[in-house]
Amino acid sequence: MTDPLGLIGSASRVGPVGPGAAPMAQPAADPNTPAFKDLLLKNLEEANKLQQDATAAVEDLQTGKRTDLEGVLLATAKADTAFKMIQAVRNQVVRAYEEIQQMRV
Amino acid sequence: MYGSLDISVSGMIAQRVRHETAAANIAGKDAYLDSSGVNPYRARRALFAVGDPSAKTVAGRQLGVHVAEIQIDQNAVRWKYDPSNPHAEKSGPRMGHILVPDINDVVEKTNSMEAQRAYEANIVAAEATKSMMAQALRLLA
Repeated sequence: MTDPLGLIGSASRVGPVGPGAAPMAQPAADPNTPAFKDLLLKNLEEANKLQQDATAAVEDLQTGKRTDLEGVLLATAKADTAFKMIQAVRNQVVRAYEEIQQMRV
Repeated sequence: MYGSLDISVSGMIAQRVRHETAAANIAGKDAYLDSSGVNPYRARRALFAVGDPSAKTVAGRQLGVHVAEIQIDQNAVRWKYDPSNPHAEKSGPRMGHILVPDINDVVEKTNSMEAQRAYEANIVAAEATKSMMAQALRLLA
């Protein structure tokens, strides 16, 4: 099982249950793996840049600085997808947090 | 991830330019004068080349398409018999003839339709890419 975020390795003592279940292999923590926070911030910055590109492209189209409609559509489509992707990740993180919050201790 | 979008957009831009040449050829098919006298309009042809240097992704740069050149066909002219035309040849073996563009409406219309359909095909490919991205997001969300 790949573990790019290094989140599963710490909880790997919770192995498969049942008789005869093989113990899970402990994945070695790779110090070179970037932290989840850094990845998130990097992608957030990228999405922000795409949004700015799209805004600039729409402005340029409307003010007549450029005439290639296709390029503007490409910029907006990229920005839209990047934003949705970031939003989905954020929603997932918030959902996980809420789930932990509702846990009975 | 955005490579196929870049490729489709480069195809759309190239087909738009090709359609522009077809439109120009249809528009200019009877134009035989310029500011200096008889000088018929020459047919334009858009020549495509692989790779789109203006694309932001590697896939777009390598697999896209761009218009390498808009060729002007100097030989696309013909002599038309039109003795009442004030610009017709006054003497010589071509007397009463005038040099006009040799442009075939049907060919140009076909080129225009082909460019339109190819543009549409690129749009469909881009839509497919977008829907693939949306489906991937649905898995995550």
